Amino acid sequence: MKTMTLYREKDSPIHRIDPLTKLLFAIVAVSTSYIVSNHVFVLCVLTVTFLILIAGKVIKYILPVIALSFLLIASIIIVQGFFHPDRATVLFEIGSIPIYKEGFSIALLVTLRVVTMISAFGVLILTTKPDDLVETLVEKGLSPRFAYVLLSVLQIIPQMVALTGKITDAQRARGLETEGGLFVRFKSFIPLLGPVVLNSLNETRERSIALEIRGFNSKSRRTYLHEREPYKFGLPLKIILVLFLVTVIVWRVVS
Amino acid sequence: MSIIRVNQLKYKYPDSDALAIDDLSFTVEKGEFIGITGMNTAGKSTLCYALCGLVPHFFKGGYGGTVTIDGMDVLTHELSEITSKVGLVFENPFSQMTGAKFTVYDEIAFGLENMGLPREEIHKRISDTMKMLGIEKLKDENPFSLSGGQMQRVAIASVIAMKPAILILDEPTSQLDPEGTEEVFRIVDMLSKRGMTVIMIEQKLERLAEYANRIILMHEGKIIHDGLPAEVFSRENLFEYGIQPPLYVKIAKALNIQDAQTGLYPVKLQDMHVDRKLSFSIQAARSINYKTVKIDVHNLHFSYNEGIDIIKGMNVTLEGEPIAIIGQNGAGKSTFVKLLKKLLNPNAGEILLDGHTISKRTAAKLAGRIGLVSQNPNDQIFKNNVLDEVLFGPLTIGQSKEVATTNALAMLELVGLSEKTDENPYDLSLAERKMVAIASILAMDTDVVIFDEPTMGQDYLGKLKVKEIIHSLYEQGKLVICILHDMDFVAEVFDRTIIFSNGNILFDGPTRVAFSNKAILHQARVEQPHLTKFVGKLGYEEIILDVNELK
Repeated sequence: MKTMTLYREKDSPIHRIDPLTKLLFAIVAVSTSYIVSNHVFVLCVLTVTFLILIAGKVIKYILPVIALSFLLIASIIIVQGFFHPDRATVLFEIGSIPIYKEGFSIALLVTLRVVTMISAFGVLILTTKPDDLVETLVEKGLSPRFAYVLLSVLQIIPQMVALTGKITDAQRARGLETEGGLFVRFKSFIPLLGPVVLNSLNETRERSIALEIRGFNSKSRRTYLHEREPYKFGLPLKIILVLFLVTVIVWRVVS
Repeated sequence: MSIIRVNQLKYKYPDSDALAIDDLSFTVEKGEFIGITGMNTAGKSTLCYALCGLVPHFFKGGYGGTVTIDGMDVLTHELSEITSKVGLVFENPFSQMTGAKFTVYDEIAFGLENMGLPREEIHKRISDTMKMLGIEKLKDENPFSLSGGQMQRVAIASVIAMKPAILILDEPTSQLDPEGTEEVFRIVDMLSKRGMTVIMIEQKLERLAEYANRIILMHEGKIIHDGLPAEVFSRENLFEYGIQPPLYVKIAKALNIQDAQTGLYPVKLQDMHVDRKLSFSIQAARSINYKTVKIDVHNLHFSYNEGIDIIKGMNVTLEGEPIAIIGQNGAGKSTFVKLLKKLLNPNAGEILLDGHTISKRTAAKLAGRIGLVSQNPNDQIFKNNVLDEVLFGPLTIGQSKEVATTNALAMLELVGLSEKTDENPYDLSLAERKMVAIASILAMDTDVVIFDEPTMGQDYLGKLKVKEIIHSLYEQGKLVICILHDMDFVAEVFDRTIIFSNGNILFDGPTRVAFSNKAILHQARVEQPHLTKFVGKLGYEEIILDVNELK
C-alpha cells in the first residue's frame, strides 16, 4: 500500500523530540536564513540542520530531494550570474555565457537558503509521524476538519492514482487509444477525467456518511488515543530556538 | 418498549418527485434480527438512512412521520446523538475507512475519540472489539492495504466499538468474494447471538433466511410483507417484487416439502426434512454447438513484480460454449483476462486469436475483437446520456454512425433499457448502470465477450437478465468468458468451468465434474453450489446443478 507519507520509522533522539519543537525549529531555521544575508551564517544554519538529519538517521532520504531541486538551483545560478544588474567581474564562463561574480554570490546565497529550507522541513517531516504532528496541532487549536483534510490527503491521493489506472483499463477496453503521441494522449483525457471525478465525488459522499456515523461532527469534547509523552527537553529547546530567533532579528536591526 | 418505532414515515429526496419511502410503520424489539429484502430501488437503503438519522439530517428533502430510536425522536435530535445508538455499515469497504488513520488500531479509535471517551476506555474497547471480531492480527496494518473482507470487518469493528444498541448493515457483502462474505456473516451472526439488535439488507437470501427472526419485504417504498422468514419466502408472488425465494424454498417446492399445518415451505437447511428417497434426472449438456472464434494460450507467464508470478505458465484453449472462470481472489483470474485483452503484456508465452498472435496489437486495436465488461460500471461511464455512452465504444473502433446506432439500440433493448436511452446514466440505479456498461461493450459487436463479475450487486431480475444475455451471445456465435464468484449461477448457466488457483489452472472441463472434485475445490478454496451441497448432505453421490434435476 502506497501512502504519501514521508515519515521514516527510526529509533533516534530526533524522533523523540515533540512535533511542535521540530516545527518551531524548521520555522526558525528558515526565517533566520532569510533574515541574515550572510553566506557563512546561512551555511552554519545548514550545517546544523544536516547534523540533525544525520542524528535522525534520515540524511539519505533528503539527498534525492535536494538533487531534484538542483534543476531549479542551476537556473537560478545562470539567470542571476548572467543578468544581475551589478554585474562587473566575470567569474567563469559556461560555454559562451559569462557568469559574473556579483550575481553568482547572490545565486549562491539563494541556493543555500533553498537547501536549508528543504532540509529544515525535512527534519520535521522525515522524523515526525504525520498523525502525531496534526493531532498536536489540533490540541493547540487547529480545526479538526482541517486536520482531517491534511491527513486524509496523504492516503486518498494514492487511492485516486490506483483508481485512475482501473479507469484507464476500462476505457482502453472500449478502444480508447491511450498509448502514443501527445495528441492521442490529450484526446483520451476527457473519457478518463469524467469517471475519475465522478467516482471520487461519489466516494467522498460515501466517506462523509461514514464520518458522520463515527460521530465526526459530535459537539462533545474530543479525546486522543495516543498519549504524547511530554518531551522533557521540549521547553528548554523551544526557549533556545526563540532566543536565537530574537537575537538574529535584533542583530539584523542594529547592524 | 420497542427499540425502534417507525410511524407513517414518508420521505422524498430533494431532487426527486417520487417518494422513496411511502408510509412505513413498524416496530423492532431489542435483540431482534430483521432482514430487509426487495429489488434494487425498493427503498431499502433509504430506510436504513432514516433509521440512523442520515435522513433527514444528512440527506435533506421532504420528511413526514416519526422515527423513534430508543425513545429518541430522530427529527429533533442531533445526528451525533443518534449515531451513538445506531451503527451503519454499508457496501463499499473502501469509502468506510476514514483515510486519516494509518493503522487499523487507530482507525477503530476514530469514532471513540470523537465521542470523547477517556483514553483507557478507548484502548479497552479497541482490544475487546478486535478480539471479538478476530482481527487482532491486523492491528498494525494500514487499513487500505487490507482485502475487502478484512476491511469490511474493520468497518464493523469501528462501528461496534462505539457500542451502538442497533447495528444496520446495508448489503455489506455485495462487493466481497465468498471468503470475505463468510467472514462478515460469521461476525454478524455472533453479534446477533450476543443480543445486539441487527437490521440487515442482503441479496443472499439463504443467509438472511437462516439468521433473521423476521423479514420485511419492501417494494416501491412500501412494506409488502412483514413476517417470519418462512411466511414471506413462501409467498407465491415473490417474483413480482423482483426477488426469488431462497434456494431451500425452491428445493422444497420441487420435492413438495411443506409444513402440514401452515402450508409454509422450510427456508433453511436444518428445517429441510426429506423423508423419502430422491431420484434424479441429470440433464445432459446442451447439444447445440455454435461455432465461435478460438483463443489459444501457450505457456503464459506474468508477474507485476519480478519474482512473484501471478500467472505461472498457463496452457488453455478457449472456444465454443460459454466458459466460467472461478477461484479465490488473488488466483489470477482478473490478470488472466487482462492479458487476453492486452491490457497487460505477458512476460513469456503467447496468446493466439484464431491462430494469429495478439502481441503486435495495442489494447485499443484489439477492442474490436475482444470486449471486456469491467466489474464497476462507474469506471467507464462519462457521457450525459445512455445512448451516447453506449455509442462511444462502437464509434471509437470505427463503426459508422448508422451501424453504431443500430447496434447500440439493439443492445439497449437486450439489456432492457430501451426506454431510458435519453436519461443521464448517473440518474440510473447501480444495477441499471451495470446494464449500460454491458450494452456499451456488446454494441461493439466483438467476437469475444469477457465479463468480470457480472452478477455482483445484481438482484434476481438482474441475474436473470445476465443469464439471458450470455445465452443470446453464444447463439450469435460469440465466445463468452465469465469470471464469477457466484457458484449457484455457475452451476445454472455454464457447462464448462475453469478453476484457477494461485496462478495455475487446476481444472478445466464440464461444470458437473468440476463440482464433483472435492480435493480440487478445497485446494482452490471454492465452495460447491448450495443445491449440490444439499443433495450431498442427504447422502447422495450425484452432483446436482439445477432444481429441475430433482424428482
